[in-house]
Amino acid sequence: MTTAPVRVPGRKIPEWTGFDGLVQLISVDGQRTVGCPYWDLVADVDGDQLRDLYRDLVVVRRIDAEAMALQRQGELALWAPLLGQEAAQVGSARALRPDDFVFPSYREHGVAYCLGVDPVQMLRLWRGAGLSGWDPAVHGIATPAIVVGSQPLHATGYALGVTLDGADSAVLTYFGDGATSEGDVAEAFGFAASYGVPVVFFCQNNQWAISEPVRLQSHTSIAQRGQGYGIPGVQVDGNDVLAVLAATRLALARASAGEGPTLIEAVTYRMGPHTTSDDPSRYRARADDEEWRVKDPLARLSALLHREGLADDAFDHEVASEADAVAATLRAGCLAMPDPEPADVFAHVYAEPHPLLQEEKEGYLSYLASFDEES
Amino acid sequence: MATMSLGKALNSGLRRAMEHDPKVVLMGEDIGKLGGVFRVTEGLQRDFGDRRVIDTPLAESGVIGTAVGLAMRGYRPVCEIQFDGFIYPAFDQIVSQVAKLHYRNEGRVTVPVTIRVPFGGGVGAVEHHSESPEAYFAHTAGLRVVTPSNAADGYRMIQQAIASDDPVVFFEPKRRYWEKGDVEDEDDVDGDIDGERPPAEVPLGQARVVRVGSDATIAAYGSMVATALDAARIAEEEGTSLEVIDLRSLSPIDFATLETSVQKTGRLVVAHEASVFCGLGAEIAARISERCFFHLEAPVRRVGGFATPYPASRAEQHFLPDADRILHEVDRCLQP
Amino acid sequence: MSTHRQFLLPDLGEGLTEAEVVAWHVGVGDEVTLNQVLVEVETEKAVVELPSPFAGTVVELLVADGATVRVGAPIIAIESTADAVAPSGPPQAQLQTQASDSEEKVPMLVGYGPSAAPPSRRRRNGSGHGERSADLPDHAPTAPTAPTAPPRPLAAPPVRFMARQNGIDLADVTGHGPGGVITRENLAAHINGAASEPPHTSQADGETRTPVRGVQKHMAEAMTRSVATAPQACLFLTVDATPTVELIDWLRQNRHFEGLRVTPLAIVARAVVLALREHPALNSSWDEATDEVVTKRDVNLGIAVASPRGLVVPNIKRAQDLTLRELTAALGDQTERVRSGRCSTDDLRGGTITLTNVGVFGVDAGVPILNPGEAAILAIGTLQRRPWEHQGKLALRHLVTLSLVFDHRLADGQQAARFLRDVGDVLADPTNLLAFG
Repeated sequence: MTTAPVRVPGRKIPEWTGFDGLVQLISVDGQRTVGCPYWDLVADVDGDQLRDLYRDLVVVRRIDAEAMALQRQGELALWAPLLGQEAAQVGSARALRPDDFVFPSYREHGVAYCLGVDPVQMLRLWRGAGLSGWDPAVHGIATPAIVVGSQPLHATGYALGVTLDGADSAVLTYFGDGATSEGDVAEAFGFAASYGVPVVFFCQNNQWAISEPVRLQSHTSIAQRGQGYGIPGVQVDGNDVLAVLAATRLALARASAGEGPTLIEAVTYRMGPHTTSDDPSRYRARADDEEWRVKDPLARLSALLHREGLADDAFDHEVASEADAVAATLRAGCLAMPDPEPADVFAHVYAEPHPLLQEEKEGYLSYLASFDEES
Repeated sequence: MATMSLGKALNSGLRRAMEHDPKVVLMGEDIGKLGGVFRVTEGLQRDFGDRRVIDTPLAESGVIGTAVGLAMRGYRPVCEIQFDGFIYPAFDQIVSQVAKLHYRNEGRVTVPVTIRVPFGGGVGAVEHHSESPEAYFAHTAGLRVVTPSNAADGYRMIQQAIASDDPVVFFEPKRRYWEKGDVEDEDDVDGDIDGERPPAEVPLGQARVVRVGSDATIAAYGSMVATALDAARIAEEEGTSLEVIDLRSLSPIDFATLETSVQKTGRLVVAHEASVFCGLGAEIAARISERCFFHLEAPVRRVGGFATPYPASRAEQHFLPDADRILHEVDRCLQP
Repeated sequence: MSTHRQFLLPDLGEGLTEAEVVAWHVGVGDEVTLNQVLVEVETEKAVVELPSPFAGTVVELLVADGATVRVGAPIIAIESTADAVAPSGPPQAQLQTQASDSEEKVPMLVGYGPSAAPPSRRRRNGSGHGERSADLPDHAPTAPTAPTAPPRPLAAPPVRFMARQNGIDLADVTGHGPGGVITRENLAAHINGAASEPPHTSQADGETRTPVRGVQKHMAEAMTRSVATAPQACLFLTVDATPTVELIDWLRQNRHFEGLRVTPLAIVARAVVLALREHPALNSSWDEATDEVVTKRDVNLGIAVASPRGLVVPNIKRAQDLTLRELTAALGDQTERVRSGRCSTDDLRGGTITLTNVGVFGVDAGVPILNPGEAAILAIGTLQRRPWEHQGKLALRHLVTLSLVFDHRLADGQQAARFLRDVGDVLADPTNLLAFG
């Protein structure tokens, strides 16, 4: 899937941001919708690229499922599944340009995958082998943020840096519906609007913050919450990969054109638990899950592809095999991951030498050396 | 060489840092046009522009969080928290993000953020304007915490803090902002009392023996250094010779200088404005007990605030240690 | 080649300890694929489906439906096929011949390792990582300013307290602890004036070598110094002390001396103190450095005492101000303190003149060596009945010989003789105490 910058004609921006209602380009049963102005933003997406998008969705889902299994087998301490949110992540990630930078929360495994992060490295922090898995500078995506709502401020600051540099890249930050209650997120909106920085606030409203429904977090749609800060909002069907792609392209284009921040609300559903420690049956009804199962992002794109003759059984089989291969590599890599060494505990606390740390490390290592070898 | 107040020295240091490195950016409430409520950033926006001296919305967490992002983009943000009592909204961004990012990213990301905070009391202020929260930050791995007690140190240390690739929480004793001292030119910086060291940079983490003595050592920092020196002068008239050490750095603490002094005097009193309970004096007392056990003539004594919130200003003289309270502890050390 | 593998129940939710089997989805003999759901279990938090970590054939279901199984316990055994990846992490162990059932697997509260915490401490290999509670003062401080004062004595707080209580300046005590620290034993030995450790004697070729320590070392140094610096001369006087013996008998009955042990030494001590009034030169010292004679106002009367560890010379301060009774009491007290090892440094310092009672050893007379810094030392020999001239006839009288050694820089023969004569006169006739005192 190419991520070439798409030309976003300035004159059409008010039309797009003025669009009131849910942006949807593919209906639930896999048909192209009519009348949504956002089609122009994805006019370039041809059959090959649609198939690539589908491949991404399938592989991302498979990675997620394999990680869940690995946790149930004791190979990961914890996993936060993205089941159901694949389109929201792939669609937005595939809108990014090479110089753009991403500040994720802790569930954006699909985004990291699209940015080239090795899936095995994604597992490192969930396995407890380390606290991060990749170099942010190499892939253009920061380490996952566990403190809810902390990262939009970082994204705003980074975007301020972009402005000070006079560059035209943009910053994309992900957070959930629950995060919009955090003060830091409000502050990020305030700072971003004040300074007019090139940041896109991407909220995956998956309807749940662990057991709390979104109604507890907000009494308006999340897309509207930016208005108080003067930030235009776009509400998009998060399970429609094309709609998400279009909306994100728009927002990124606005950003790099110096038009300031945009708030995107991708309406989706967290089909799985909050994390592997959670039991959704305690707070939500099977019926709700079923209501959203019919809106599944993979099913609808597959239906579109089949309907338009862009995919057949051979293609489906090929994609499934590819996903299996990725899963097998992931499993092998996870099981082979080395545990951290005692000295690693003391590494990288500071960038510059620190006498107390040096002393503690030497003390602890010599303490360990004072024991007999374990047989 | 010039004589100037601590506030002016910090201003000069900031100016120097900004001239030296175009990536240094100041952020905070009211630091631009107003020049800061204590005028520490006076004139800097005029000279460097509003893209390098940035007034922020009234949101401390926002200031620090934004600084994190700026640092990841390659800048050296210098944030001002307007008053000690207002650092708490930013606490999470400081201890969860600023302090840990380098570690979490296994060294691949640095966070060269400096957070300037006026701290301490003795200025007759209303609530929340006289706090001493340094222990929370000294206790947080990943942060460096420093505090200058005088103009010369302020001038040098602010530049060092900004130049450090580690995050530094820089506490400025507001009570001493207006006190004047001699500030050396940057080519001639010498931090040592006896002048024997060649004029070279004194490391940011190094303490200083500001007064040589033999009967007991007083370790202090920030605004307490001047109080400790007052106590030492009084003691001298009474025939007691006190050595006074300005810690300057609270994380890391220069234990080597402290230990050398205690090995000489055998007695230590730690003085700080912050409450004694679980204050920095406790760490120092524990450490010196371990390291100088056989040199100690008396237990390490601590003098500081009580286990109360900071009181109303008309009662603050009861909370803040003065020379008498320091000498009271010194007396206890010297008792046979 | 296939391997027999067990799936151990992992910690499914950040600190769970057990789960209950709700329903098996497979049976013995079934072929299972990787990740195929094997069983549903219920934990405190949720009902969870467990996917198979291996592909292969089910050999045995190790937990029954409805049973509770602890984290780390095996739930199923599968004969896995060749291409299953061998896990390197802790949980999925291959079946070892040592029965894993015998190993008590305690559920981990966090994470996913099944092994129990070992019940005993790990064995140390003696590479010695400081087991002392306090750091030793043998590290070089790295601070720039070096201390200019001489190093201070090192001692733990209880030892300092002990020194303070006994009036001892730690600078006078040698520390034999690690790093030169003064230990409690070192201080106690100093107080008692003796070596703390028994000297380590070594034997070879018919010779026994004993290291010189403590009191012996101190004594050797003092004696050598004394002889080297002061020219010492000696005078003898034998006295009929029978009246003194009678006086002592009388004093022992006297109510003012009740409870006190009066000895001839007390009378001699009183006589010496009074005689010094007339002969202050014998209570002086020679200051080499300034070329001055220092005459002391106070008579700090040193009494040489044999202690369990050797010779000690505590002194009674300002003996000139004490009555005979007080002097007697002080002598008794001092003897007692020395015997029980409770002398302080202060007791042992500052003496101006010394008496040494060689008589207790049954010796008539001697030529003692001056206590360094003093002008005179008087040895009192044994008090014995011997034939003597008394009132023109031969009689058995109580005789005692006094031997006075003096520093010939500070007094000449005549001065010394007069002093000795005065002391002897008191012993010969205690009424002289009234004449002097």
